[in-house]
Amino acid sequence: MAALTRSTRSRGVKNSLAKWLITLGGISVLFTLVLIFLYLLYVVKPIFESAKIEQKVNISLNLADNENVLASGVDELQELAYKITNTGNIDFYHLKTSVEQATNEYSVGDKALSTSLFTGDSFNQAKVVNVVNSFSATKLLHTENGQSLLVQPSFYAKYLNDTREIIPQIYYPLGHDSLIIDEQQRPLSTLAFAMDDEKIVFVGFTQDKRLIKTSFIAEDEFSVTSDGDDVDYETIFQQIDLPSKSVDEIKVTPDLNLAFVRSGSTVYVYSLNDDDDVELKATITPTLDDKGSYLTSMALLSGSSSVLLGDSSGRVSQWFEVATESGREFKQIRRFTADNDKQGKSAIAAIYTEQYRKSFYTMSANGMVNVFYTTSEAHLWQGKLTSSQPEALAIAPRANGLTIVGNDPLDASKKSLQVFSVHNEHPEVTWQALWQEVWYEGYPEPDYIWQSTSGSDDFEGKFSLVPISFGTIKAALYAMLFAVPIALTAAIYTAYFMTPGMRKKVKPTIEMMEALPTVILGFLAGLWLAPLMEEYLPAIFLLFIFLPLSTLMAAFAWHNLPNHWKEKLPETLAPMLLIPVMILAIYTAFSLSGVLEVAFFSGDMRQYLTNDLGIDFDQRNALVVGIAMGFAVIPTIFSMAEDAIFSVPGHLTSGSLALGATPWQTLIKVVLLTASPGIFSAIMMGLGRAVGETMIVLMATGNTPILDWSIFQGMRTLAANIAVEMPESEVGSSHYRILFLAAFVLFIFTFIFNTAAEFVRQRLREKYSSM
Amino acid sequence: MISISPKVLVPGAEPTIEKKLDLTNLTPEQIALDINQLNLFYGKKQALNNISMSIPKGQVTAFIGPSGCGKSTLLRSINRMNDLVDDCHITGEINLHGHNIYDKHVDVADLRRKVGMVFQRPNPFPKTIYENVVYGLRIMGENNRRNLDEAAEQSLRSAALWNEVKDRLHESALGLSGGQQQRLVIARAIAIQPEVLLLDEPTSALDPISTLTIEELINDLKKQFTVVIVTHNMQQAARVSDQTAFMYMGDLIEYSDTNTLFTTPLKKKTEDYITGRYG
Repeated sequence: MAALTRSTRSRGVKNSLAKWLITLGGISVLFTLVLIFLYLLYVVKPIFESAKIEQKVNISLNLADNENVLASGVDELQELAYKITNTGNIDFYHLKTSVEQATNEYSVGDKALSTSLFTGDSFNQAKVVNVVNSFSATKLLHTENGQSLLVQPSFYAKYLNDTREIIPQIYYPLGHDSLIIDEQQRPLSTLAFAMDDEKIVFVGFTQDKRLIKTSFIAEDEFSVTSDGDDVDYETIFQQIDLPSKSVDEIKVTPDLNLAFVRSGSTVYVYSLNDDDDVELKATITPTLDDKGSYLTSMALLSGSSSVLLGDSSGRVSQWFEVATESGREFKQIRRFTADNDKQGKSAIAAIYTEQYRKSFYTMSANGMVNVFYTTSEAHLWQGKLTSSQPEALAIAPRANGLTIVGNDPLDASKKSLQVFSVHNEHPEVTWQALWQEVWYEGYPEPDYIWQSTSGSDDFEGKFSLVPISFGTIKAALYAMLFAVPIALTAAIYTAYFMTPGMRKKVKPTIEMMEALPTVILGFLAGLWLAPLMEEYLPAIFLLFIFLPLSTLMAAFAWHNLPNHWKEKLPETLAPMLLIPVMILAIYTAFSLSGVLEVAFFSGDMRQYLTNDLGIDFDQRNALVVGIAMGFAVIPTIFSMAEDAIFSVPGHLTSGSLALGATPWQTLIKVVLLTASPGIFSAIMMGLGRAVGETMIVLMATGNTPILDWSIFQGMRTLAANIAVEMPESEVGSSHYRILFLAAFVLFIFTFIFNTAAEFVRQRLREKYSSM
Repeated sequence: MISISPKVLVPGAEPTIEKKLDLTNLTPEQIALDINQLNLFYGKKQALNNISMSIPKGQVTAFIGPSGCGKSTLLRSINRMNDLVDDCHITGEINLHGHNIYDKHVDVADLRRKVGMVFQRPNPFPKTIYENVVYGLRIMGENNRRNLDEAAEQSLRSAALWNEVKDRLHESALGLSGGQQQRLVIARAIAIQPEVLLLDEPTSALDPISTLTIEELINDLKKQFTVVIVTHNMQQAARVSDQTAFMYMGDLIEYSDTNTLFTTPLKKKTEDYITGRYG
């Protein structure tokens, strides 16, 4: 009795233990899935957030009556900000209170440095009228007397007592004395410049209405981080023909190639490449919607290609050169509207562009600030930062801050320097930009493009998920096209016609193929199969005809063979007779390849395809992937489909045969019908595997993210894209997050496939499962 | 309603004289199947030993015997279902209309259309009731809707199922009860108008009420078809059959009209079996 109790108790313990373990296992699988899902979403989420702008520091300024601020700026780490006034003074302000161990003690708003920029003798009590910015931090001061000076406010970090202190410094790249920009030394009403290591180009409009271009060409090199009192350069003065009498704004591209000169509502584009002659390259006359609208501002977008034009009705248009039938032409690409309904239309007073990205800020006449990103057409932010138009606005070098000099929010009678922090990490990504056609700079038309990196610094990432999603589906479909017929016919033969003894050997052999590392398949496909196929292209197509045909012919011959011949060969070995037949077929196809090429394809099928038919041919193409990945999914489909067919109850088969059906009729009308849920699952499992497969597509597709169904073109899949690019993407960057989004899309793909498969399978099972 | 009183237990009951046939001396017109010195081997093991018998037309012939005696094997030989078994080979002949069905020129599918079969377990296809019944006709290439409809109704009526399913012909056959499924399978078999109908323990998976219905049905079917039934239920054999063959260990021990076999068996083994000494 006691033994019985003990055994019952231990059985109870085992029972509940098993119950708990199984429950725990199930829940943890679900939990892990949800966790992966949430983590992907967590990484992806920031790219869809809009921008945030918050005030960080407000420093009241004590300006003299006739003093006003012309420029402002901030260092990369946003520890020091500066302003330049019309008296030629520069003041640096601390934006952070000093840490305890610092050598100098200071608090927010304390001046770090206050000095006059005019150190040379020639600038006696000069009044600055214009501070011209360029894409670098170098600024050009121009006085009412027509004197000019290049200055570069700089910052360096000093480490004392393990603390970092940012020290301001001012460089004069071309020395402390006035530069001669106009040959006649007249004051310039409008002025722009750009510089690189070897050349500085100024384009200006003099008060006596001459448009001039002046180039300084360095004997050696210009440097913006040292004083250049003794730098030698050659000056070239040129005069430019202007079809107009006035000039409102001038911009010079940072690559020194183009100058945009705005005169009223017309923009003249000059090519600056030629040092002998400045040629009018194009004229931009935007069509403005509203009557009475006119252009009010102009800015260059980062990357030297696009110009932004703001008009009096609050719209900004982006223009860049596009290749058309009649040569390269400036075209309006897209438009942004800066006003909102409540505020009504307000002219664009100024446009500010970021240094490295395609974002821009518009300042409306009513003080409204709008933030846009051009390529993604995202409207990122809208609001007022100051009560009226500010005197100066500058974007921090890392585009994560703004300095604005304008009315003091605390005391309306005074001016203040405000620093804002800007959270705008991923403006280039929007749902539309990911899935719709985008018109990138320099492209003739909108397109779906995935091109995440390049060698150039001002490169803009092109993140369209369309080509890589397409590539995933294309690769999977070609693989299925190859795998499904082979796997299903093999499964039918093995399960339904093969002798049991042979089935016992064949099935595990094919299933073992599944264990073959896909990296080996990819390696073979990329390095052996692809070149082979390129060389013997006609043979590959012949094989698609020869192999089935020779198999059928062999079967027919075997069928008609006299019985006493058949009996000599063990039944298990009969299918082995196909091996020499197939080898013969392959050999014939390959030896006919050359003959066919000479006869039909003028000697080389590949050349013929490209030259005569105009079909592009990549060595690593969909055909290679179809075969290699098809080979990888055959075991998956075969194994499951074979099980499904084999497990069709024998009494159904017998029932059909007993009604006088031939084995073939029985197969089609009863066996396949009953096995259909299993066969369907097998195909969907294969498809799921093909969609998620990485190594084969990575090695055999050429990874070209193009949208083309052609069997001779490559593709790039989501999985391969992640594998290729993840190691080189910067953690937290847009690119990094978009790769996570690609992973998420892949997850959704397989999720949809599996759910649909399971749903259909359940329906089929309800309908056709016999018992 | 069939008489429940088994003939075995009433020795005095007189059989109807005109039904009695001389099984050893039938005219060719009376013979449906003529089995001649049939030997069957599964590999090296012999399962049927030199069986010779004539099965009369338009009657119900039952094969009885203990498990493994070869009665199902014999039945399956008649429509060559044993061909599906590996290592099975046969000597001797089974003649249908004077032609040996094991002749190499015989089309097996054609033979099976003439010799229909119903199995122990109901095996409707996972299709609708209607499609199940017309399956045999469809594979013969009949696609005329009216002919199919007519054949379906007739067969279902013959199988005593029409009234139960006429309103749901296009629902899945798998929704029917076991007894209904078995009658559906019989309807399916008779839809192609076979000459001989082989029933392999058709009621062993069914409840008593369904069994009774099927037995009534068998009684009706013999008006149209020659019926051969395998059963391990002696009462059933006694109730439904006209002739009974008793088999033991692959041998045909005794074959005579049912009354004679159950009342005055000639062989000791037969008597032992029908009186329940073994089995």
